[in-house]
Amino acid sequence: MSEHNQTDPQADQAGSPLTDHEYDGIREYDNPIPGWWAWIFAGSCIFAVLYYMAYQLGTAGTSVAQAYDNSVTANLLLQFEDIGTLAPDESTILKYMQDDDWLLFGKQTFAGNCVSCHGKNGEGLVGPNLTDDQFKNAKRLGDIGTVIQNGAANGAMPAWNNRLHPNEIVMVAAYVASLRGQNLTGPRAPEGEIIPPWPDAPAIPDTVVEPGE
Amino acid sequence: MTPTNISELNAPGIPSNSGVLEKFTYDDKIVRMFLFATIVWALVAFLVGIIAAIELAFPAANQPLRVLSDALSYLSGGRISLDSWQIGIEYLTFGRIRPLHTNAAIFAFAGNTIFAGIYYSTQRLCKTRMASDLLGRLHFWGWQLIIVSAAVTLPLGITQSKEYAELEWPIDIAIAVVWLVFFGGNFFWTLAKRRERHLYVAIWFYIATIVTVTILHVFNNMVIPVFGPGLIKSYPIYAGVQDAFMQWWYGHNAVAFFLTTPFLGLMYYFLPKATDRPIFSYKLSIIHFWSLVFIYIWAGPHHLHYTALPEWASTLGMIFSLMLWMPSWGGMINGLLTLRGAWHKVTTDPVLKFFVVAITFYGMATFEGPLLSIKSVNALSHYTDWTIAHVHAGALGWNGFMAFGMMYFLLPRLMQTKLFSTKLAEMHFWLATIGILLYIIPIYVAGLTQGLMWRAMTEQGQLAYPDFVETVTRIIPMYYIRILGGLCYFTGALLGFYNYIQTWRARPSKYDEPVHEAPALSAGYADDPAPASRLKGVTETGHKLDVWMQMKWHRKWERLTLRFTVWVIIAVAVASLFEIIPTFLIRSNVPTIATVTPYTPLELAGRDIYVAEGCYNCHSQMIRPILSETKRYGEYSKPGESVYNHPFQWGSRRIGPDLAREGGKQSHLWHVLHFQEPAKVTPGSIMPEYSWLEKKKLDFKSIPLRVKAMRILGVPYTLEQEQTAQDHAKAQAQTIADEIVVQGGPAGLEDKEVVALIAYLQRLGTDLFKTSPDTPDVAIPTAGSEH
Repeated sequence: MSEHNQTDPQADQAGSPLTDHEYDGIREYDNPIPGWWAWIFAGSCIFAVLYYMAYQLGTAGTSVAQAYDNSVTANLLLQFEDIGTLAPDESTILKYMQDDDWLLFGKQTFAGNCVSCHGKNGEGLVGPNLTDDQFKNAKRLGDIGTVIQNGAANGAMPAWNNRLHPNEIVMVAAYVASLRGQNLTGPRAPEGEIIPPWPDAPAIPDTVVEPGE
Repeated sequence: MTPTNISELNAPGIPSNSGVLEKFTYDDKIVRMFLFATIVWALVAFLVGIIAAIELAFPAANQPLRVLSDALSYLSGGRISLDSWQIGIEYLTFGRIRPLHTNAAIFAFAGNTIFAGIYYSTQRLCKTRMASDLLGRLHFWGWQLIIVSAAVTLPLGITQSKEYAELEWPIDIAIAVVWLVFFGGNFFWTLAKRRERHLYVAIWFYIATIVTVTILHVFNNMVIPVFGPGLIKSYPIYAGVQDAFMQWWYGHNAVAFFLTTPFLGLMYYFLPKATDRPIFSYKLSIIHFWSLVFIYIWAGPHHLHYTALPEWASTLGMIFSLMLWMPSWGGMINGLLTLRGAWHKVTTDPVLKFFVVAITFYGMATFEGPLLSIKSVNALSHYTDWTIAHVHAGALGWNGFMAFGMMYFLLPRLMQTKLFSTKLAEMHFWLATIGILLYIIPIYVAGLTQGLMWRAMTEQGQLAYPDFVETVTRIIPMYYIRILGGLCYFTGALLGFYNYIQTWRARPSKYDEPVHEAPALSAGYADDPAPASRLKGVTETGHKLDVWMQMKWHRKWERLTLRFTVWVIIAVAVASLFEIIPTFLIRSNVPTIATVTPYTPLELAGRDIYVAEGCYNCHSQMIRPILSETKRYGEYSKPGESVYNHPFQWGSRRIGPDLAREGGKQSHLWHVLHFQEPAKVTPGSIMPEYSWLEKKKLDFKSIPLRVKAMRILGVPYTLEQEQTAQDHAKAQAQTIADEIVVQGGPAGLEDKEVVALIAYLQRLGTDLFKTSPDTPDVAIPTAGSEH
């Protein structure tokens, strides 16, 4: 009620004129809109128009899809500029088994895609143990690459050629092959047959064609 | 609050009209009803929130009997083994509980707050009793019934899966009737009977609330029901990109027009009442009201940055969110500056303490909102807990504190006695404040941590944390702290409840019902003349502009309810249509992909299980064109991939990994084992077990009904496919079940829910890579053939 407001509100709101509005005792000052408020509001509106013009009506190359494509290209260059595109054959896998940097690369790929079935360290889980000498679908080193590419066992092992770059398949194959002989204990009984050891590394380098050429 | 002279508080203002004096009383009983519902549902909403929070920190929480059975088994030396007790309770999984929490917080707690405040203030601001006591009661009981039906259907998995619009079609119809007819009807009827010439700013916000929530609710819930025995199920008429757009147009504006505008209205009434100070600026009220109403409605697409939504829409969502900053802050400064000259009261009055912190949180949340809408910030924050922290700053800080402040203001007035304990109210305030901080700070940390881990790259250009579960286990400690925060906030509310009950118990044997007097509005009314221009040396147009800028014209609108309401409708409708029409009409928004074909009948049934289990609450299906994302999940999602998705399942939070390209990533057997016990397959996983999927029989009979509904929606199934849907589904189920056996899994799954869900999951994201549309994902025998 108005009695309440007769305690001269202007005492602490110097220069603030009251409107003649009153609702259930609530009154309203006729204060102007704060300048900083109005300027930021106007500024945000101007920015909005400029932003829209720049990004939606502006030159090509600023779109999300374009920016993404650029980042993919840059990433491919960063990763594979030195090695080109590889094929997951026995000699290539064997070569990269000797390279610690690329093994680490394979390990990361393995961690992102393979651990849910083969266990964190390849000890097996839903899928077979990869650290022993027994293999279900591989008889030779090159088969590791083939199985990763195309899958195996009625889809129990999915095909990865749609999901991984060919080089990633090579590196993950090299990493998987490098696990052999650790003989970690997993939840599953050994599966498949014992296969001959991988070929010796030193014999290979001469026969490897320099990739990427 | 100090005890007050009730009759004085309830006295209307000095008559400003020269009509005949009329006597009237206020209906405060309805306010008491809504206020009681507010505090009761507050407790429920917070409790369900705590349960959800516990489930994320301790995934076995939906197996409450497991602890007991383990203990019994241990104590009896293994003689007593209650395997059946080990099973998780399907009604309690996070996927089903989380929608219950959000619905309870928004529609039950905040909803009843709004109604209590609006019924109390509107009568007083209009100097009239609510037009109809009966409509008020129908509104009250109808709304509580809707809440109860939500509490029953959501745990049962009856859901539309659209966030904050999960309730199925029969409840949606009830909401429309209760909201628009009972509540809206009563409200506008009351305005028509008012004895106050002009509408106060609080009423403007109420009008915007009622009108816009109706529009949002109706258009986001356009569905085709699937009629069948025991089925409460529907599909939205929109699919994929359009459905996502409509959902977030709705979802964002549910925040705007259910959690913001009505609460601003409450602030405009209760803050000047509690401080006994005039509102800081009438002009600011006008400007920030209209700018808020007009701009808010555009901002929805910022929930869909980097998704398959067309980029122009996403950009519009961002720039309008930025423009929204000042309109939102207009409300905050009008609130905080109204406190000028009353700050000394804040130290002693818990009501003002709640209000001040509420307005402060409003200011913080509405600064953070525009920040999060910036695309590059959103790239980091989206799908993480950052969003969760943001909404809880808003919900617990702004809505919760406004509600409790209002409650403590109203209790002595409604119960016509002293508040039972100011000290307890103070304790409530401090517990709740600490609770909010204990909630949001760790969850901000969790969000940032996870967002940064997802995008972190090694020097070799690979993901630094390629295993998703690493990014989950890292933030679990934050989830423990969140539970503490929730418990603090809940305990505060319990004190509030106790204070409520004790105050109520001290009520008079019969409530005093003061009779007020005010003249009826006379027919003729001359508005104030337009002011003169203050400018010199400008053109006629300049003078006109200056007069317009003085905004006296708005004063006339304030006494014309219909005109005011129509302008609100125009403001929200025009803005909406600017985005909606192009989204639906421009073909290039959703380029067709020839290899994308409708789901098989079994996959469709599996998809409905995915929806019912609320999988979207933890798993997105929308890979953004961001390098770290495509590295983790595969090729980014294209608009054309979700054209048959009624409803879309893009999700908004990745508590688990994205599933947009899940098809073919794991074996059938892996999925079976994973549903049995996720943590066994993925150590550290916080997904609950879903062992009932392997036991519950799939409802094959309803599959043709589902296909039929999809056909009505224009999904290209032939009539033959509809008629043979059941046989086709059984054949595909048999194929998958056989493959599971071959892979070394359990037999006999061909008629269980799990095969349908696996069929759906194995289809996800695979169409894009097919070479021709005819290539089936799995070799499926034609319907009726031997298998």
